[in-house]
Amino acid sequence: MNKKHILHLYWRAGFGVLPKQAMELAKETKKAIVDDLFEKSLKMEHLLLDTSKLDTYLTADFKTDKMARQAFLNLNAEKFNAYNYAWMDRLNYSDQILREKMTLFWANHFVCRDRNIYHLQSYNNTLRENALGSFRDFVKVISKEASMIKYLDTLKNSKRSPNENFARELLELFTIGVGNYTEQDIKESARAFTGYKYHKTEGYFVFNEKAHDGKTKTFLNKQGEFNGDDIIDIILEQEECAAFICKKIYTYFVNDTINDFHVSKMVNVFYPDYNIETLMRYVFTSDWFYDQENIGSKIKSPIELLVGMNKIVPMQFKEKKNYLKLQKLLGQVLLDPPNVAGWKGGRSWIDPNTLMLRLNLPQLLLSNSVMDLNEKGDFTDSYKELYKKSSNKGMVIKPDWKSFEENFNGLPFFQIKESLILCQIKEGTNEILENLNEEDKKNNIIQLMSIPEYQLC
Amino acid sequence: MKRRQFIKNSSLASTLFFVPNFIKAFEEISIESLGYKKLVIIQLSGGNDGLNTVVPYSNDLYYNYRPTISIKEKEIIKLNDNLGLDSSLTPLKRLYDKGLLTIINNVGYPNPNRSHFRSTDIWQTASDSNQYLQNGWVGRYLDAFGKNNYNAIEIDDSLSLMLKGENMSGIATKSASTLYKASQNPNFKKILSYQNEEHLSEHNLGYLYKTMISAESSAKHIFFNAKKVVKANSYPNNGFANQLRTMAQFINSGMETKVFYSSLGGFDTHSNQNKKQKKLLEMYAESMEAFVADLKAQNTFKDTLIITFSEFGRRVEQNAANGTDHGAANNVFIIGENMKKPGLYNDLASLSDLDGNGDLKYEIDFRAIYATILKKWLDVDDKKILNTSFNYLDFI
Repeated sequence: MNKKHILHLYWRAGFGVLPKQAMELAKETKKAIVDDLFEKSLKMEHLLLDTSKLDTYLTADFKTDKMARQAFLNLNAEKFNAYNYAWMDRLNYSDQILREKMTLFWANHFVCRDRNIYHLQSYNNTLRENALGSFRDFVKVISKEASMIKYLDTLKNSKRSPNENFARELLELFTIGVGNYTEQDIKESARAFTGYKYHKTEGYFVFNEKAHDGKTKTFLNKQGEFNGDDIIDIILEQEECAAFICKKIYTYFVNDTINDFHVSKMVNVFYPDYNIETLMRYVFTSDWFYDQENIGSKIKSPIELLVGMNKIVPMQFKEKKNYLKLQKLLGQVLLDPPNVAGWKGGRSWIDPNTLMLRLNLPQLLLSNSVMDLNEKGDFTDSYKELYKKSSNKGMVIKPDWKSFEENFNGLPFFQIKESLILCQIKEGTNEILENLNEEDKKNNIIQLMSIPEYQLC
Repeated sequence: MKRRQFIKNSSLASTLFFVPNFIKAFEEISIESLGYKKLVIIQLSGGNDGLNTVVPYSNDLYYNYRPTISIKEKEIIKLNDNLGLDSSLTPLKRLYDKGLLTIINNVGYPNPNRSHFRSTDIWQTASDSNQYLQNGWVGRYLDAFGKNNYNAIEIDDSLSLMLKGENMSGIATKSASTLYKASQNPNFKKILSYQNEEHLSEHNLGYLYKTMISAESSAKHIFFNAKKVVKANSYPNNGFANQLRTMAQFINSGMETKVFYSSLGGFDTHSNQNKKQKKLLEMYAESMEAFVADLKAQNTFKDTLIITFSEFGRRVEQNAANGTDHGAANNVFIIGENMKKPGLYNDLASLSDLDGNGDLKYEIDFRAIYATILKKWLDVDDKKILNTSFNYLDFI
């Protein structure tokens, strides 16, 4: 397989590939390489933290034991951050890169925020489990996740007083998109999702028959005593649903600009089975996926940027909190999407401040500079926390240059350049790169990751 | 490798900002057509408790709902027979007495959202409660009328959604010199001669180069203009005052910035509210008074309008932890000269007719305030920015 195409595939299906690995792969056929990506992602490893300390509080009565409640809340907040770091680690070092990339995609599709670490882990692992499975099953299990039931108010949705929040977002954002249903459809389907609850401590789905509205609903021109799963089945009968999902996948994995013809071919593959693996296999083996206009055309998300850099020079943050800070300043904190519509992506990652930071990032992270920027405070920060932040300057990072040297040893600069930069480099910028001292590898890699072209994949 | 040599070699990495000559021509275009009026937006972040800010001190219901956290009458600076400011706002009362402050009560929107994130988004994007907009209302103003990033400045290290447009964004900075340093490097000028119009192509790479160019030009504009003015010393010593001080320096320099934004956080007072909130309100009021004085001294106050909002008010009934939970409608402060209706713009909504959550009902849509400011202060077509028409209010 063409080396450029390997780089492209690995950037879209994962977070890039090291030059030597790409050279090895170049001996293989496209089919073998794509098969291998899927094969490696066959297994499913849950991302779980050790919560044993937290577990001991589960039996406490928080109503009477205020100390226990506070201790639980503090521990839980720590776990939230820890889960962010654990996810970053997973993205950085997992070999199930396709499954992880898909998980990240779905986290920005079935968008949810939660602070309860148990529910959060369950939701996150549901994304991971279903990332390459059946979209039909996926929507159904997601609708029953404790985090989702809370986030979109299904918990408040009862026979007596229906809440439309989940039904609306299910149609608008999760499945079919605006223009394919009426306000009345939202009202009717909301009734079908009544009675959704979760087990108080265990978090698993509980159906509350008494709160469920079992009467006849009229939804998308069908009539019946539908429950939530029935509604999802009816939505998925519409080809528009497959088209909506394919467009989103195309935008994320192929190109910001939709090519209607390519999307219609994807829909033919996806509909009516809704098998995600089949769809992705089709995308990654299609000739059009490797069209020049798709290669090096997308702006990396902050997470793609950070994980991609870490692949080249692994780095340890002395204070893990700085990892969060960096995500915040770049505009994408894992587990913390801005709203149910998720991150818009593409050019919206870029404003004058994030771009300046992105271009200065390799030097900030890899050459012992001190970063003198403060992230915005959280809404929930107390007065004290908020105003002591200004003294908490600088981040200490330990780059693993040894691993860099092992991976890049013996490679001429032009080869490193080719494997890091996928788009055409502007002439003037390229001239500067050409004049670098070939021997100074550390410096050269920093320079290379600092040009605007490196922001694209 | 020696550290010094390393730094020298890294010069390319550190800056990456350069401006091709033909772009310079564009930079000279001023936004004079937009006039000299400036808008300052302050967010009290976390949800300020409006009821303990502008207090209905003669209402028994208020004291019933808040047995331990209500502001006692002796701590009130009275505005009229019903409402008064908490004593922490004494400096604000002085502005009030000079006719420079209008307090608009019961500001909110239909179907209020009680999440900080979501409600902040709603205020910053001027969307409906169930609508997700990906750019801010100031960003859309820039899209329509702005020419440079520095037309809207946030005093912070990162840019909020409010200032992000589809094609044009504002720029964030807490220090003009830090921003400038991050944007300059002589070595990079080498590349200049190679840059051509191709950079402004519609492709993403062109977009990145274009953003770099305008970021550099904005950093420079801000730095060189700010340099002309010495920062005033007459501010209290706290972070928020510092932000206002920097803002005043920018305003007094005459730089072509139409909108400034800054926020003061810490208002999420779920527990032991009074001590924290009073301290924050005091910080706000003292800093604001110094800010107004600074602008007045430089004769720029007459062209500046200051609006202060919070993403939501708080629950009328206090909670068990001597605090309050997230609520809905809240008051908005407008500070400026020539206010049409200085003082209290309207009465406080009824405490006996609350919404289903026990929160104040909104009377004035916050977007009607935006519309009024856009139309009557910034002199632009508000419908172009807000996409809906709202009835103008009568405060300016």
